[in-house]
Amino acid sequence: MKRLLQIIAFGLAGPAVAQVQGVELEEPVLMPDFAFSNELEETFTREDLNDSWTLIMFGFLSCPDICPFTLGNLEAAVAETGMRVRPDNMPKVVFISVDPERDASWVSDYAKFFHPQFESFTGERSQINTLVEATDSFYRLLDPDHTGYYEVQHSSAVSVIAPDGTLRAKLQPPFDPGLTAEFLARLQISYRKELIK
Amino acid sequence: MKHLLAALILTPTLGLADGIKIEQPIVPLAPPGSMVHAVFMKITNTGNMPRQLLGAVAEGYHTAHIHLSEEKDGIVSMTAVDVIEIVPGQTVALEHGSFHIMLMRPIGEQVEGDTVTLTLVFANGASETVDATVVKMIHGQS
Repeated sequence: MKRLLQIIAFGLAGPAVAQVQGVELEEPVLMPDFAFSNELEETFTREDLNDSWTLIMFGFLSCPDICPFTLGNLEAAVAETGMRVRPDNMPKVVFISVDPERDASWVSDYAKFFHPQFESFTGERSQINTLVEATDSFYRLLDPDHTGYYEVQHSSAVSVIAPDGTLRAKLQPPFDPGLTAEFLARLQISYRKELIK
Repeated sequence: MKHLLAALILTPTLGLADGIKIEQPIVPLAPPGSMVHAVFMKITNTGNMPRQLLGAVAEGYHTAHIHLSEEKDGIVSMTAVDVIEIVPGQTVALEHGSFHIMLMRPIGEQVEGDTVTLTLVFANGASETVDATVVKMIHGQS
């Protein structure tokens, strides 16, 4: 709590807040073609990035701590963002499982648990690798133990994609809802300024 | 390791874990169908000898391990931990981003308000039964 107060105090002091919850890329990165799906046969492709803001998180469903905590905080952050941006600028939240072998049969349920409009998908290894690389993210499946169980390492950051299909920023833990919303609102303002130029 | 735990738990002379205080044991409500759940709590050694937590057995799950979540250079990972050492007077928090007891392969569905009974096993042969409550985590209201 004390630490949280310190972070908020920094936030009030000025633009340093932007460094706490997110980092804006110096140059936007255009996203390549990709295709993901889930067991409901819903799809998520490059075209779905057009005309809206999208937050993409990588993870896996056998993750009892980090992934649920991040999605829970993103839900709160998106709710906060709703008080700062127009409804058509509300970010979509997409969870991509990097563990299709274990997760493909029920992946759609996962993100919905945190918000009915959150979506989750997985896909072929090549598609996962394409999007992971394009967003400068990381994951690794570790060697299985004697029971066949394996751990998964992955990036903690969440990728922020603008309505022109370019990666613009990374959100970082702890994903404080208010500060993350503030960061997203500022990012959208600078994006619109850029469009006017 | 598994055999050791089984032996410790089946030992009939098992005593209660004197000098151990457990606070706020919770299981965050997980998305439906989750094959893993976490237990968080605070464990304080109120005795005068160092204590070592070796593991846990949870009713309603196939296995339970002590796990450590860590973030390093933007990468999050989980590793199994063999022992948590708790010196006299120390409180170890099993919490988000640190230690948790990972409950694997639940036998039934979990709902908010359920109680998960688990037995913590210590190196001195003592055990401590903990009733953890399943709670829906509320984010952004700290």
